[in-house]
Amino acid sequence: MDALEIINFYLVPGIVIGSIYALGAVGITLVFAILRYAHLAHGDLATLGAFLALGAVTLGGVSPYVALPVAMVLTAAAAVMIDKAFYAYLRERPKIVTVMASLGVALMVRAVVQVVWGVDSETYTRGIVRPDVWFGIRIRDRELITILAMIGLVLALHVFLQQSKWGKAMRAMSDNPDLALLSGVDNKKVVMLTWIIVGGLCAAAGVFLGLNYELKAMMGWTMLLPMFAAAILGGVGRVEGAVLGGLIVGIAEEMSTLFLPTEYKAATAFAILLLMLLVRPTGLLKGKVL
Amino acid sequence: MNKFRTALAATLLGATAMAAPAQADVKIGLLGGVSGPIAAMAPAMIDSARLAVQQVNDNGGILDGEQLVAVVGDSACNPQNGTDAATKAVNIENVIGIVGPHCSGAVLAATNSVTIPAGVTVITPSGTSPEISGLNDNDTVFRTVPSDDFQGRALARTLLLRGTAKVAVAYLNNDYGKGLAEAFRSEFEGNGGEIAGFAAHEGEKASYRSNLAELASGGADTLVIFDYGDGSGLTMLRQALENGFFENFVGGDGMKSDAPIKELGAENLTTFLSSAPVGEKSDSLEMFSKAFADVGGDPSAIFATTSYDAAFMLALAIEKAGGDKAKVSAALREISNGEGEPIRAGEWAKAKELIAAGTAIDYKGAAGDHNFDDKGDVPGTYALFKVSGDGFEVVSEIQ
Repeated sequence: MDALEIINFYLVPGIVIGSIYALGAVGITLVFAILRYAHLAHGDLATLGAFLALGAVTLGGVSPYVALPVAMVLTAAAAVMIDKAFYAYLRERPKIVTVMASLGVALMVRAVVQVVWGVDSETYTRGIVRPDVWFGIRIRDRELITILAMIGLVLALHVFLQQSKWGKAMRAMSDNPDLALLSGVDNKKVVMLTWIIVGGLCAAAGVFLGLNYELKAMMGWTMLLPMFAAAILGGVGRVEGAVLGGLIVGIAEEMSTLFLPTEYKAATAFAILLLMLLVRPTGLLKGKVL
Repeated sequence: MNKFRTALAATLLGATAMAAPAQADVKIGLLGGVSGPIAAMAPAMIDSARLAVQQVNDNGGILDGEQLVAVVGDSACNPQNGTDAATKAVNIENVIGIVGPHCSGAVLAATNSVTIPAGVTVITPSGTSPEISGLNDNDTVFRTVPSDDFQGRALARTLLLRGTAKVAVAYLNNDYGKGLAEAFRSEFEGNGGEIAGFAAHEGEKASYRSNLAELASGGADTLVIFDYGDGSGLTMLRQALENGFFENFVGGDGMKSDAPIKELGAENLTTFLSSAPVGEKSDSLEMFSKAFADVGGDPSAIFATTSYDAAFMLALAIEKAGGDKAKVSAALREISNGEGEPIRAGEWAKAKELIAAGTAIDYKGAAGDHNFDDKGDVPGTYALFKVSGDGFEVVSEIQ
């Protein structure tokens, strides 16, 4: 097996799926850092985003790339509404209550998707796309766009968190919510802003997953474990860590078939998660919470 | 507020009282993979079973003119949901028998943990794993579809006859995929074929390119996929086509789904073949086909015939057993053991009269005669299908 083959069939798919994991992991890590709980409805929110984009594609006849911002805005709105309806009420209770509530929300969101769009597999565009070959490397436009969009979105988020007033408020609340409140940071607005960003990132992860593979009602739920593994691997609360973690989990999953029987591929994320929690629970880049 | 609550409670009580007469109906459970990896197949299967129920109710009802009521449950093609759905059907709905679940894993889990202890008779129209034959079931688990032990072997012989001597096999790591793949492998290798790659995969992953690369490294140009066409089978097929890993594709009955045609396009599936059980030509099949087409169904949809037969036979057995849950499984053997007055698909009124008179009857179903062997299995016939237009077309019968 030569180097090109490894790049084409193991590394490139690993980076593409890793980029999608990264988008989800960034959202998980933000919720962890600012709201301090594990959000189990994350995957199903991504499913919702993917299907909202499908709605825009089928109703508006636009390309999925145009539908992406629409889905991001709608999913962000849905995330804010879910927070207001279910999580805000539990804010002062032990966090585990909210975690369980988010599991219930996950089931509800999935049920809504199944009721509205049905349970069949769907795609944005019918048919198959063969890859272009650049100097022996086989890659599709949509795969390049997925990787570039992930980098663009994460860079934009990074600049926002570092430079803008609201980004600083979010970081302040992540460091110490009480101190931030005393210093004049409106916690409610920060929570809302967090959900807007998380909802948008969820939708992006869902749309790119649907674009590269298929849309299914269970698509987000099955992505939940690798996304959590990525967030913890990178260091909870660290955006750049989530990206690194996502890419490592994605590449490790694809590469694992070189060494392990293929049925163990799905267990790779588990193994990474377990190993990381045992050896270095703070993650590769030192996480802020946990 | 208190008044409002009392009023609400009274309304709810009233609603329960009104629902009460429905309790006298005879309930059967229809458990199927409504969501999950066979979601595209399930509607036709549920509809054809409902047709059988409809025919019973239109022709005098069951027992003393009671209505047969079908309660649908979603077994989602996995063991956990299968158990949940069966528990609900058995304990809450108090069903007297069950048609389904659709997938082998769900059948094994639901029967082992729910229906066998409860003594409820189960007929699966599509659970094909050889494991089901070996269940210690007190004779309560039956199927109207042949075991994959037959299908895997028949497909292996057919491929060899067609001149394909070297294949790679990818199978879903569950009871269905594994059973089929093992049967295929033993027959294919036993008759001189070469398996150049044999690997299981977990379902519902996004990327299978590295799995496919591993399989392709063995040098075969034909990939045999034992998976579901609405689940990871579709993803695998797409990625194999897009990356040119293999030229020819062969699937089992799980791959004969509309989803690949709908999502990949028939023009890309010219080298895709799939085997599936078919009904032998019979009057009964024609009668079913006509009745099912009349209610807007597609009689050639996969497992429509077996699903219809399962529901109709369950109704016959309940009638024969006089509604006694414990006697249903014995009655099921009596109504279709090859001896007695033949009953074809939809002939409920005739069957009801004969049962009342104490005459032996023998159901000749749309999918076959269904004379169960001692394990509750039936022999079957298969055909090889290719994609044609927006559906599947028979290439040849296979044995």
